[in-house]
Amino acid sequence: MHFTLRIWRQSGPQAAGRLERYEIDDINPDMSILEMLDLLNEQLTRDGVEPVAFDNDCREGICGTCGLVIDGVAHGKKHLATTCELRMRGFVDGTTITIEPWRAQAFSVVKDLVVDRSPFDRIIAAGGYVSANVGSAPDANEILIPKVDADLAMDAAVCIGCAACVAACPNASASLFTAAKIAQFSYLPQGQTERERRVVRMVEQMDAEGFGDCSNHGECEAVCPKGISITNIGVMRREYVRALTGQLR
Amino acid sequence: MLDLRAAAWSSVGKKLITGLTGLGLVVFVTVHLIGNLTIFMGAEAFNAYSDFLASLLHGWFIVLADLGLVGFFGLHAWSGLSVWQSKRRARSSGYAVSADARGPSRKTASSRSMLYSGIFLGIYVVLHVWHLKFGAEYVTTLHGEEVRDLYRLVVEQFNRPAIALAYALSMLFLGLHLRHGVWSMLQSLGMLNRRLLPTAYGAALILGGLLAIGFLVLPLYVLFFVDPVGTAAAMGGLR
Amino acid sequence: MSLDQPNTALDPRCPSGPLAERWTKHLSEIKLVAPANKRKHTIIVVGTGLAGGSAAATLAELGYNVINLCIQDSPRRAHSVAAQGGINAAKNYQNDGDSVWRLFYDTIKGGDFRSRESNVHRLAEVSTEIIDQCVAQGVPFAREYGGTLANRSFGGVQVSRTFYARGQTGQQLLLGCYSGLMRQVDAGRVTLLPRREMLELVLVDGKARGIVARNLITGELERYAGDAVLLATGGYATAYYLSTMAVNSNASAVWRCYKKGAFFGNPSLTQIHPTAVPQLGDYQSKLTLMSESLRNDGRVWVPMQPGDKRRPNDIPEAERDYYLERIYPSFGNLVPRDIASRQALYRVREGKGVGPTGVAVYLDFKEAIGRLGRQVVTDRYGNLFQMYEEIIGDDPYETPMMIYPAPHYTMGGLWVDYNLMSTIPGLHVLGEANFSDHGANRLGASALMQGLADGYFVAPNTVGHYIASVDLPKVGTDHPAFAAAEREVNARVTKLLSIQGNRTVREFWWDIGRVMWDQVGMSRSEAGLKEAIDTIQGLKARFWEDVRVPGSADDFNKSLELAGRVADFFELGELMARDALARRESCGGHFREECQTPEGEALRDDANFAHVAAWEYRGDDTEPARHIEPLDFEFVELKTRSYK
Ligand SMILES: Cc1cc2nc3c(=O)[nH]c(=O)nc-3n(C[C@H](O)[C@H](O)[C@H](O)COP(=O)(O)OP(=O)(O)OC[C@H]3O[C@@H](n4cnc5c(N)ncnc54)[C@H](O)[C@@H]3O)c2cc1C
Ligand code: FES
Repeated sequence: MHFTLRIWRQSGPQAAGRLERYEIDDINPDMSILEMLDLLNEQLTRDGVEPVAFDNDCREGICGTCGLVIDGVAHGKKHLATTCELRMRGFVDGTTITIEPWRAQAFSVVKDLVVDRSPFDRIIAAGGYVSANVGSAPDANEILIPKVDADLAMDAAVCIGCAACVAACPNASASLFTAAKIAQFSYLPQGQTERERRVVRMVEQMDAEGFGDCSNHGECEAVCPKGISITNIGVMRREYVRALTGQLR
Repeated sequence: MLDLRAAAWSSVGKKLITGLTGLGLVVFVTVHLIGNLTIFMGAEAFNAYSDFLASLLHGWFIVLADLGLVGFFGLHAWSGLSVWQSKRRARSSGYAVSADARGPSRKTASSRSMLYSGIFLGIYVVLHVWHLKFGAEYVTTLHGEEVRDLYRLVVEQFNRPAIALAYALSMLFLGLHLRHGVWSMLQSLGMLNRRLLPTAYGAALILGGLLAIGFLVLPLYVLFFVDPVGTAAAMGGLR
Repeated sequence: MSLDQPNTALDPRCPSGPLAERWTKHLSEIKLVAPANKRKHTIIVVGTGLAGGSAAATLAELGYNVINLCIQDSPRRAHSVAAQGGINAAKNYQNDGDSVWRLFYDTIKGGDFRSRESNVHRLAEVSTEIIDQCVAQGVPFAREYGGTLANRSFGGVQVSRTFYARGQTGQQLLLGCYSGLMRQVDAGRVTLLPRREMLELVLVDGKARGIVARNLITGELERYAGDAVLLATGGYATAYYLSTMAVNSNASAVWRCYKKGAFFGNPSLTQIHPTAVPQLGDYQSKLTLMSESLRNDGRVWVPMQPGDKRRPNDIPEAERDYYLERIYPSFGNLVPRDIASRQALYRVREGKGVGPTGVAVYLDFKEAIGRLGRQVVTDRYGNLFQMYEEIIGDDPYETPMMIYPAPHYTMGGLWVDYNLMSTIPGLHVLGEANFSDHGANRLGASALMQGLADGYFVAPNTVGHYIASVDLPKVGTDHPAFAAAEREVNARVTKLLSIQGNRTVREFWWDIGRVMWDQVGMSRSEAGLKEAIDTIQGLKARFWEDVRVPGSADDFNKSLELAGRVADFFELGELMARDALARRESCGGHFREECQTPEGEALRDDANFAHVAAWEYRGDDTEPARHIEPLDFEFVELKTRSYK
């Protein structure tokens, strides 16, 4: 297969970026898109051009490190897949593929296609945990959790933190990410004592990082490689109301 | 721990405000439409309805309702504008290529144009109120009492094709706004779960559609089927 | 022996007495740091996987100052996240006869009797507390309808002791651990430093007192000083180029420490997992694991005739060889990983391999679909089938899956004593990075258990013991040892960038991987290993003359990162080959062709090799020294594993 690639190149956070055009040949349809970029980088290295920087690690869709906007869609047009899971057989031979980084004010570009997602860590630090010190845990089966609740919690907990939701959101909102963590704990008996504090602080941090507000477009769910539902955002809002009314009590 | 003012300014707080005010406005619009349907029943019914509203609580109802509506519109507009503003800040540089993700996405022409349809509706409301509420004060008698002849004003105005068409057209924007707005307000209030969401999304299409069509039909009905002179004659002529 | 001397005698420092009381006894005897004093001590933890993340969070909970680094942009992405199957614990919630002893015994036996009894028993003991801790953190483990925890049987053991969270157990455990870590970051007790790569260990007075790390965004070298250094940097199967590990998995941190005097335990012991998606072409960068659970229902086969190129569904039953069922009638397709892998290799060598490359075997679900119905098969394996279809483009419901073994886990690592301290005082090694409790072969679902045992329960106690036992004068980053270490790193980086030869780093990585896979892989021979050592030395020399590393040292430069890691793989690869050569026996994942029974089964040599080999670095031009730590089996009897 042959492709024309238009790739965003930017040497650093402050530098101006632009789309560069590259031609690439002999692409095996079974290759993943990242393997194609590896090949491009080999070619660039041999030609004395600096390779394209892009983030990746597990290459099997679970670590959440990879993330490219491919032809205008975060993680590409294929649903329920991360960038590293995309195979070239899903693209049309001979076409042009445009590759850009996640774009959001809260995520500065580190280099080329690599962005800084540390705001996500800070959102979790603001309350995405149960305060349970090692040594203080009761026997695991003393906490009974109905299967239905455990499954709902798991549905939200599968978030890989890739930030495609932010990249795809027309408002660059981090609501799906933040809500998934809040929702997970809302279904579980653990951590109830800090339930209200959690939602208030996490939302506060999300706002402080400069993400946009949510307009319920639902693009986030559509690009989420783990299919996390926007109903979790509804849960976050309910939790917020709960915290507010708790305040009035 | 949670300062209420800060909460209102937070991204979730703003959504709650948008949702609540949106809900209020949808209820208002629905009641308004149902009331307006009395126009199909003729002058008497329509004027009786408007007089009923005007005299409720010794006239205080209208004042309260107006104040409430102004508040709701204001808050709704404020929160909507601030969502838009935050979006401009949060995505200061856009994508060279952008496309829709499709699948479970709820992004539509409606959701993308909320700000614009909203601004349009805002302007429309001002003009509409100025045009009809503060329009000519015709008077007629109903069951022996003098009441405002709003029917006449409406019929007179809607018999002018430009006005009827402008109203009808505006209602398309209402439909556009409500297509996303109705389900979205429920989502903003955290009222949907996985089962309800698709239902609400479908219901929004129906409710939004019905409201828009209802309002749209009114001016056209008057334009094509109600004769202003005839009406005036039937009501006992001009005063 | 005192704790501030290098432990070159390889004293395991295990407590004595009844096995089941050793850990408790040890805990009650080790020294403690007074609560008020803890905050005066800084501990550097390298790695944020299950081992590092849990240790960092727990030490911070105890009151220490913690500095925690990782390569990824967030601690949540450490490769522990990729574990699918589950985590073992001797809870006996299923009332099926499990116990701490049984988990201990299974682990020792599964490891082919090449691990320390005291350590393994401790691991089995704390396994139960791990589950308690994880549940308390809100890890959404699978549940029964009644609300209790669900278990499954995993990796061919006879009890159901594996806890799981769909096919994402590692992810959920890591996110639990990460949340605890972020809580301490929020509390200001952990300084989190993502996108940092440790490139040198700093020794002061023979003790580990700091590290030099490269900021992967700015390229700056940064110095961090502390009272103890904990390495939890994961496995190094990326030395094989293709493996189930993450592309950033590496050996650099442990290698730097090895070169600073830490002994390397059993470097050649590697687990080759039998069920990965096979390699399709040279471009491939990664082998994706297909969970072991597939072997519960899938049947492994190859055509009877070598070179049979027919499509699998066209090969009649009578012409198929269900070789695992044939050779091991009692365990069949559920034989341990090392055996299943080796048998696949034999079939390929016989020319019976399948698929476009001839380097794969079939895993067939036709019988299972017939027996259980398609729905049950979908419920059990649907996501794996989907994953497979995405990669290969074939539908496993219709066409048998192709699988082939892949390097998956490194039992080898830095040698540590019972306190998880290496031969360098103060340098502790946790998780997959140490030479581990898994002997010569790791049982499924035991690595997650070990990482969390080390991080939550062992190191927080034993590191305190070390700090309380030795004299630790204040050392700042202005100490000359830091400047010296920084110079070493700088010199390496500058050298790598200055060569500007003709071959890319990836080409060299590919080459070393090829040698490792062919000669130091599933089946090893004296001649092959010797050849490998030669080839690797040649490659290494060529690398330092001909590699081309683009870009500069002072910004984000993936090629430079990779170059440093590949440079270390040459040296590590050579050591792995040496270790494999010296161990003239077959045990667990290590199979020496010279040491097999007439039926081709592994032949262990307990008389000569019931020990841990620990290698000492003695300079680039001198051969490393092989030391041994004898393994005393006081409580279990050494038996030959048989699965026939
Ligand atoms: C695909 C797959 C599936 C598996 N499934 C299972 C299973 O079902 N059950 C089971 O028990 N085990 C399983 N394992 C094994 C298990 O996941 C690992 O052994 C275990 O998670 C390792 O944890 P760790 O904390 O030691 O290392 P890792 O999780 O690998 O973490 C290493 C950390 O060290 C950091 N690091 C490395 N080098 C440096 C450096 N130089 N400087 C700074 N930081 C550095 C990394 O950034 C990372 O944070 C699986 C492994 C794989 C690959
Ligand atoms: S590289 Fe890990 S999800 Fe893509």
